[in-house]
Amino acid sequence: MKYVCSVCGWVYDEEAGAPEVNVAPGTKFEDLPEGFVCLLCGAEKEAFTKED
Amino acid sequence: MEITRDIRYIGVNDHQIDLFEGQYVVPRGMAYNSYLILDEKIAVMDTVEEGFTHAWIEKLTVALGGRQPDYLIVQHMEPDHSGSIGCFMHTYPRATIVASAKAFAMMKNFYGEEYEDRRIVAGEGDSLSLGRHTLTFLAAPMVHWPEVIVSYDAADKVLFSADAFGKFGALDVEDPEGWACEARRYYFGIVGKYGAQVQALLKKAANLEIAAICPTHGPVLRGDLSYYLNLYDVWSSYGVESEGVCIAYTSVYGHTKAAAELLAEKLSARGCPKVAVTDLARDDMPEAVEDAFRYGKLVLATTTYNMDVFPPMREFIKHLTERNYQNRTVALIENGSWAPAAAKGMTALLEGCKNLTFVENSVRILSALNEESTARLEALAAELWP
Repeated sequence: MKYVCSVCGWVYDEEAGAPEVNVAPGTKFEDLPEGFVCLLCGAEKEAFTKED
Repeated sequence: MEITRDIRYIGVNDHQIDLFEGQYVVPRGMAYNSYLILDEKIAVMDTVEEGFTHAWIEKLTVALGGRQPDYLIVQHMEPDHSGSIGCFMHTYPRATIVASAKAFAMMKNFYGEEYEDRRIVAGEGDSLSLGRHTLTFLAAPMVHWPEVIVSYDAADKVLFSADAFGKFGALDVEDPEGWACEARRYYFGIVGKYGAQVQALLKKAANLEIAAICPTHGPVLRGDLSYYLNLYDVWSSYGVESEGVCIAYTSVYGHTKAAAELLAEKLSARGCPKVAVTDLARDDMPEAVEDAFRYGKLVLATTTYNMDVFPPMREFIKHLTERNYQNRTVALIENGSWAPAAAKGMTALLEGCKNLTFVENSVRILSALNEESTARLEALAAELWP
């Protein structure tokens, strides 16, 4: 499942995770740590929507 | 031109540009601002659009007075500011380029170079000492691009704000409307979507003692900066700046226009201090967007077309929603000669918007105003301006 930042368009891909910020591949969006922000623009988790 | 004893203005004025950012009409041209800080070390703040590289390098050369620049600070990678990076770095082979990590990635994409051998990657809070002046870099993501940094000089209390606090219009012509009008059209057009991100930047700026703001467009701001900071606060929090009503209409044969104008008359008669009426097909659409955000009440009057909303109105509403239009009162006037559907269409387009209050008295016109629809218009005026 992929989630898109509504501010800048950056995509969080659950399969890939976000190793740059110690988020393991496979980490579900709901399980992202508190304070996780968009890696491109810094927007909060609330700004993300599921990609169709 | 001297900004302070050590800070010079070395920007350029563009009177050749037809559309800024490929969409904005700029009747008084555009300024691309760049500044020079002359200290023990010398820093250049941003470059200019590539059509003006030569003029800029000339100004820079004169201002350098025989000295060599040490640093080029790239706050923003949009080509109207980054267009002369290549020429600068070629002209000054011993200069170091300073920018955010994201900026260097974009630099590689735009220009094929990221200067790995002579660069400093600027992170949040990093500082660069020039001697008496120390620049502190602050990230300003999505104001209005992801790589943007702004720079604060504690010595002269100057905030180099990148595109924030900018304005349309070159600096060698007077703007008879003052600062706010073209600054507002610029803000809502270019930065409007990023209110939350501008709020974040304003919070950072509140911790700084600022005597002057040096943006990359528009004039240097000095004196009582609270005027500009307050406007940016209102704009970026989607607050209502001015009392009044914006009536945006489309009209094919003049009947919807007549309704819009009649409503404007009624509102004025009821004491509404300002009614801004705009023909979305013919007037400057960014100006209409500016008005929609400036006032607290918006009337959308349009025709049904292809069982949908008339195209310029569709476009206008999209401009509003993608900029997070919210916190306002909206009234709908639809026209249709056989199966009016515009109000339904406009309602659907506005669906995602937060905190919009739709008036009770929407108006449906069947081709032309009649007694009934005129009465509805009267009721609408009373509801909008009690």
